[in-house]
Amino acid sequence: MTLELSSPLLLSLRVAFFATLLIVVFGLPICLLLARVRFPGRDLLGALLALPLVLPPTVLGFALLAVFGRRGPVGSLLEGAFGVAIVFHESGAVLAAAVAAFPLFFLPARSALAGVDQRLEDAARLLGRGEWSVLRHVTLPLAWKGLMAGTLLAFTRALGDFGATLMLAGNIPGRTQTAPLALYDAVNAGDPARAWRISAWLVSIALVVAWFGQRGLERRTH
Amino acid sequence: MALQVQLRHQIRAGPRLDVTFRVDDECVVLFGASGAGKTTILRLIAGLVRPDEGLVCLSEKVLCETSKHFHETTRKRRIGFIYQDDLLFPHLDVAGNVRFGLACWGRTEAEHRLAETAALCHVDHLLSRSIEGLSGGERQRVGLARALAPRPRLLLCDEPVSALDVSGRDVLLQMLASVRKTERVPMIYVTHAPAEAVTVGDRLLLLDDGRIVEEGRPLDVLARIGPRGGLADLRNVHEAQVAAHEVGATRLQVPGGPELIVPRCGAAVGARVVVTIRADDVLLAKSGTAPLGLSARNVIPGVVERIVAHEEEAEVVVATGSVRWVVSVVSPALAALCLHPGSPCTMIFKARGCHLLPRD
Repeated sequence: MTLELSSPLLLSLRVAFFATLLIVVFGLPICLLLARVRFPGRDLLGALLALPLVLPPTVLGFALLAVFGRRGPVGSLLEGAFGVAIVFHESGAVLAAAVAAFPLFFLPARSALAGVDQRLEDAARLLGRGEWSVLRHVTLPLAWKGLMAGTLLAFTRALGDFGATLMLAGNIPGRTQTAPLALYDAVNAGDPARAWRISAWLVSIALVVAWFGQRGLERRTH
Repeated sequence: MALQVQLRHQIRAGPRLDVTFRVDDECVVLFGASGAGKTTILRLIAGLVRPDEGLVCLSEKVLCETSKHFHETTRKRRIGFIYQDDLLFPHLDVAGNVRFGLACWGRTEAEHRLAETAALCHVDHLLSRSIEGLSGGERQRVGLARALAPRPRLLLCDEPVSALDVSGRDVLLQMLASVRKTERVPMIYVTHAPAEAVTVGDRLLLLDDGRIVEEGRPLDVLARIGPRGGLADLRNVHEAQVAAHEVGATRLQVPGGPELIVPRCGAAVGARVVVTIRADDVLLAKSGTAPLGLSARNVIPGVVERIVAHEEEAEVVVATGSVRWVVSVVSPALAALCLHPGSPCTMIFKARGCHLLPRD
């Protein structure tokens, strides 16, 4: 693999990894809250969190730019207080990929957590287990399939994000140019060989992820 | 005193509970039709539901006192619970399930207790098995071992045998009765089946529309209330004494009633047993019309005392001496027999239709 090809691919893998980490860390408590607690506006919050799935990616990217841009409410705060820049940075690519891919984790994970029989959690409490232990030893193992499927879907979606990443992080070779953006550039530049190579790598990575996921699910089932 | 309960609670789309009772070192049966509030009482005691008003004390420790806004968390109550549909953890094997409540125990102690409860509930040979593939009876025995392992101060049983076949029921009921004595744990047992109430219960509380309306020895209360409409699994339950053994059969004498022939049992002559016969398993004939040469060994004359018709079905209460029987008959058959209160009749049932439960 040439440096020219490896740089966008490695960046894509890094972006997808950190985006997935963000999604799981923030998404799991949100899924638990929505699956277990009834509160006013719960359905509205659920719909908002699933919104990136149906929004055009460019609209999503524009919205992120409005919020996290240098003049945006959160972007200006982050840059002023912590010196963290989001726009035209790798962190912007991670954020854009995380937001775009969030519903693909959120929907199956929430459904899997809601599907865990709460009487089993009560049985664990009656056996002396606290809430953290119930979550770790009953809820998460029983919702494992949905959580794993959601994580893999989110990872592959983050790996292939284009529109939102382009809007928030730009397309700077060696800095924010992920593999899908490099593919777009290759097609624009009339370099189909490079475009094929990038596509093949992206398909291969997605296949490996899907294969590992399938193996993991089967092992868990048996 | 082991457990003291005073509860007032409005069940959603159900009756308003208003119950006060205590449980000493005994098995108390909460008996009543579906929807009477039995399971909710167990959930309130276990702390899975907060009562509107009430007080629950276990071994002189307050678990819940609504007037002081005190509600002990479920995990600190040390209450064992056995469920109708076992609720074993499907992602753990049998040992993992039984060990689940021993997380705070030392390793050696926990392994010792695991082996002890597994042996007590006859699941020691299943410890390495996964939950899938266990029979209904095995699953319930694992559930019992899991509930007993952390040495609960109270055992709550919510119709644990209702999903089992007759032999599975009898095995688990006898195990519950013996385990209660071995572990010396007070127990509340919820059921709407008279035979279960008699087998495990020292005292029965009859619950109707959220209130306790009768209380006493299970056999006494069941005899007082008689056959009640709406009670599933209607059975005749009689105390009897083993009169004699013969080849393949045992003769029982029901005090004040007839002699019964049942499948041979191991109880000694003179031993007290409880015999149950399903109301559906008893045939009814007009007196003098019972055919000769029947394969059924119990042919018992009696007198129709009353008839209670429920749409397509009718329950006929038959008196034999001082003993009352309930026979389930479909309405057209009843009309064909032209039976009415005072009619002499004959009850016919197989020895195999009689199920014995040890009493002592």
